Amino acid sequence: MLKEKGQLKFEDKWTYMRPIVLKLLKQEPVSPSEWQELFYDVHLVCLWDEKGPMKLRDALHEDIIQFIKQAQTKVLAQRQEEALLKAYIVEWRKFFTQCNYLPTPFRQLESSLQGKTTAGNSSIQGNNIKKGQNDESIVRKLMLDSWNESIFMDIKRRLQDSAMKLIHAERNGEAFDSQLVIGVRESYVNLCSNPDDHLQIYRENFEAAYIESTDMFYRLKAPEQLAENGVQSYMRYADQKLREEEARALKYLEAGSNGVIQCCVNVLVGQPLPVLLAECAPLIKAGETDRLQLMFRLLERVPEGVQPMLKELENHIVQAGLADMVAAADIITQDSEKYVERLLELFRKFSKLVHDAFSDDPRFLTARDKAFKTVVNDTKVFCLELNTGRAAATKIVAPESKCPELLANYCDMLLRRTPLSKRLTTEEIESRLRDVLLVLKYVSNKDVFMRYHKAHLTRRLILDASADSEKEEDMVEWLREVGMPADYVNKLARMFQDIKVSEDLNAQFRTSTARHDAINIKILNAGAWARGSERVTVSLPVELEDYIPEVEEFYKKKHSGRKLQWYHHMSNGTITFSTNGGKFDLDVTTFQMAVLFAWNQRPHDKITYENLRLATELPDGELRRTLWSLVAFPKLKRQLLQLTPSVTNPKDFTEHTVFWVNQEFALIKNGKPQRRGKVNLIGRLQLSTERSQMEDNQSIVQLRIFRTQEAIIKILKMRKKISNAALQTELVDILKNMFLPSKK
Amino acid sequence: MSENSRMDENDNDKKEVSQEKMFTLKKWNAVAMWSWDVECDTCAICRVQVMDACLRCQAESKKDFYGKQDCVVVWGECNHSFHYCCMSLWVKQNNRCPLCQQEWSIQRMGK
Repeated sequence: MLKEKGQLKFEDKWTYMRPIVLKLLKQEPVSPSEWQELFYDVHLVCLWDEKGPMKLRDALHEDIIQFIKQAQTKVLAQRQEEALLKAYIVEWRKFFTQCNYLPTPFRQLESSLQGKTTAGNSSIQGNNIKKGQNDESIVRKLMLDSWNESIFMDIKRRLQDSAMKLIHAERNGEAFDSQLVIGVRESYVNLCSNPDDHLQIYRENFEAAYIESTDMFYRLKAPEQLAENGVQSYMRYADQKLREEEARALKYLEAGSNGVIQCCVNVLVGQPLPVLLAECAPLIKAGETDRLQLMFRLLERVPEGVQPMLKELENHIVQAGLADMVAAADIITQDSEKYVERLLELFRKFSKLVHDAFSDDPRFLTARDKAFKTVVNDTKVFCLELNTGRAAATKIVAPESKCPELLANYCDMLLRRTPLSKRLTTEEIESRLRDVLLVLKYVSNKDVFMRYHKAHLTRRLILDASADSEKEEDMVEWLREVGMPADYVNKLARMFQDIKVSEDLNAQFRTSTARHDAINIKILNAGAWARGSERVTVSLPVELEDYIPEVEEFYKKKHSGRKLQWYHHMSNGTITFSTNGGKFDLDVTTFQMAVLFAWNQRPHDKITYENLRLATELPDGELRRTLWSLVAFPKLKRQLLQLTPSVTNPKDFTEHTVFWVNQEFALIKNGKPQRRGKVNLIGRLQLSTERSQMEDNQSIVQLRIFRTQEAIIKILKMRKKISNAALQTELVDILKNMFLPSKK
Repeated sequence: MSENSRMDENDNDKKEVSQEKMFTLKKWNAVAMWSWDVECDTCAICRVQVMDACLRCQAESKKDFYGKQDCVVVWGECNHSFHYCCMSLWVKQNNRCPLCQQEWSIQRMGK
């Protein structure tokens, strides 16, 4: 065949090829041999006829246009929207399938055409590379472009409008064949032959129309819904619609086009924003988490939606929290356990609200923290007077919340052997301590907490009253973890170390002098423990006095360069009290011991206040306090000492008030006096006297000034130059673990 | 207080005797604080209280609280006192007391 058709012309061959092409276009069955033939013919034409490729293309174009014209008439024959769409889609599908088949036989044509357009010489390899780059084949492009020009341009408005009408109908709840809309969209997407942005036609036409119709629809519907059903059901409506639209967009639109949702959000949420926000506060107040969640979901979509919600939440927490505190003021100012529990309960309540309604969104958590800080540091219910004595007259100290003191008290109750700590399991205590640390995070005057915590710890260690020494040390580590200043935490740790060292020392002391099994010594590092330098002088009973030189002698052998100071206001002991009524073990302070031992020489005498003062050499204040604890100990029914004339206040003791030991003393249990028993008269171990208390307050204020100065220097050394405002913020940052520096 | 001294004698006897006494001591937990016996309570080299560890030791923030070697105090012949850590660094540069410029020699060490 090759030989005889040496002069092969396009015209000769086209007559054979044309019917096959037409069959292909119409999707009529084509036999394998016909299909093969077509390949061969195209090959021949391209190879032998110089003008063949051009002619072939033109002829093909002609036929395609022809075919499209037919399809167009078929489509346009449909008057009805749905039928029109259907017809269009049927035709388009057919055509589009052919777009994939028809180009195959004409590949040879393409290579020759391309070879001509690019360079003169048509080396096959070069063409192959070109073809690889240009994946849209020429014939396919030809077909699509023809479709685009002839049919699509004519009816795209109608197509779009019908499609939008269908979608509108669907929004109104009518069912229809969604394939119709999808089909239209597909034709939009596939039609575009722009290789850089193949969604161009789709975006400019279909998507734009879709957005516009959506906008129109909801612009009408939204206010209607709002007016008819009120805000709350509107929110549900809006949320539901947004979801529906999202699903719809997924169905009808190409992925990655979120213009529609944005438009919906704008119309559904952005427009009625003020109305929605007005609803926010009442919902928070009522704790309607579901609705709040709904609202959050909606408002999160608009840029300025969440901010007002945060504000509302914050306001609510502050108001509700303070109202709660004020309402319970009577109980919580007295009882630190109740106070801390109340605080934690509030905290949990609000956290739950944030969790349920706002799925723990970090912005809301911050708002909660900020508000809670306000509640914790509020001074309305109770304020801590940093009474600085003389300094107070010259400088007004801003009132601070008593919260840290109460927190420290609560810690003490958990860590000391108390009814509370006995009732709870180790795990419970641990979780409560964690809770305290949680609240502590919000306290701005942490240095006050530290002071009280240290005082409590001192008492526990000296009285050996810790419920669990492991927990104590854990607590110190936790405090370190939450960022308490290192020097403070180190001192606490040092105290534990000291106690252990002391125990060893005590053991050594006891072995060195066998007869002193009645004495326990604690010799502690003044740097870590001492609070002020003040000591109280007391003339010890001889029973105690004897030990002193011996201990000092012993200590000197162990250490050198150290001096010892006795802290008798911290020391304590147990004495046995024998009366006619029985024998009782009394836990007493050394001061109480000194007073009581005064009667050893004259058991039945009445001793005046003045004489007791001479015997004990206690300062007036201490003696009054000690006596008061013996004549009016709250837990006792029968007091240890009796006096005349009776007074209601330790201040009313006069020089001539006389005291005597109550020989009828007994512990009363179930209404019956007991013959034996043990009673603790120590109460709260006095760590400091009134004067040192004042010094303490002063020292806190003083320390704050120093810390501030120190921090300023630190910052300025780093920065050299800094604006006042920036300096202040950096200061707050550095010092916030201790206290909040006041502006000044 | 003649009575007092008589009672003393009784005390020095044993507890059996004191049984007739109204109050007898069973246990005494005595508390004392020790501090370095120094004239000036800050170390002139590091400006930290001699009772606390010197700056260097603090900075090393020793985590092993128990059995940790204390930062002790040293006294020179001139009776001035410093942290031992601070002074041992100081004498490497200048073997004089930073306060009085006397030749530095250790009088005693804290223990």
